[in-house]
Amino acid sequence: MELVIGGYSQGKLNYVLNNYDKNAYQVYDGASLALGTLEKIATENKVVILDHFHCWVKERIRQGEDPESEIMDFLDQRFEDLVIISDEIGNGIVPMDAFEREYRERTGRILVMAAKRADKVVRVICGIGQRIK
Amino acid sequence: MMIMITGGSGSGKSSYAEDCITKISKNCKKYYIATMQVFDEEGKQRIERHKNMRSGKNFKTIEQPCNVENAIEKMDIKDPSKRTVLLECMSNLLANEMFSDETIQDRHMIMDKITDGIRQLKNEVRHLVIVTNNVFEDGTVYDDATMEYIKILGCINERLSEIADQVIEVVVGIPVILKEGM
Repeated sequence: MELVIGGYSQGKLNYVLNNYDKNAYQVYDGASLALGTLEKIATENKVVILDHFHCWVKERIRQGEDPESEIMDFLDQRFEDLVIISDEIGNGIVPMDAFEREYRERTGRILVMAAKRADKVVRVICGIGQRIK
Repeated sequence: MMIMITGGSGSGKSSYAEDCITKISKNCKKYYIATMQVFDEEGKQRIERHKNMRSGKNFKTIEQPCNVENAIEKMDIKDPSKRTVLLECMSNLLANEMFSDETIQDRHMIMDKITDGIRQLKNEVRHLVIVTNNVFEDGTVYDDATMEYIKILGCINERLSEIADQVIEVVVGIPVILKEGM
């Protein structure tokens, strides 16, 4: 598994796509994943690129679910040929809104857990990837 | 030695800072200077979480929301070469200094007060690890007081990284070295 992080609009998806042949991957958008899609993704034949992962986390928190264990279970089922792309959202002022605070904290910690398991972690800035693990 | 550690919310910077000071604190007493003040249940839980993270690591906690240099006299070990400090965190310390009752209005006075306090602390301990916060990258324009706070924190971080031996950014739990030299 490869984790790709970076600020909003830094060219993370393009950075990842440049590494693959057009027919080799399937991009899934975390901003609009239907319920149960993770289970389906787990058996996808192509390289799975899970984009906007932070959006998926946010939605699961909003629904009162447990994205921490969901993602760890998912990684148990699907670890090879998987790229997770997420915005870094923690580098700002602590939000006034309690939900936004919780979302920031939990997303950060989930990314720390994912990074621990990842074979490779890349941070993308201005479209340029820096490998940090 | 002084090490400054920065990172965003939930980046794993505290956990990294604890490991870092534990590694370099051989034969020294470890002090944890806590700058956060509790105002509500969420704050209480946050502190509990950090306490649990530290438990078993033999830290002695000193609560010091303002006037960080006053922590020196609260240390029971009097030999500076036998004590190390983890200060967490600069963003709370600055907020307390700026927004508490006896507010100092002048930007430079606040910066001087805090950096002088840190310098004194640095001179009185063997190793000092400071956790600060990356609050600079959300692109939002806040009210004047918050913008001033962000500006001052940025300036303090700049000043402290000048006197630090090492500056590290923690990104998703991974240390990225910004300044190396020990």
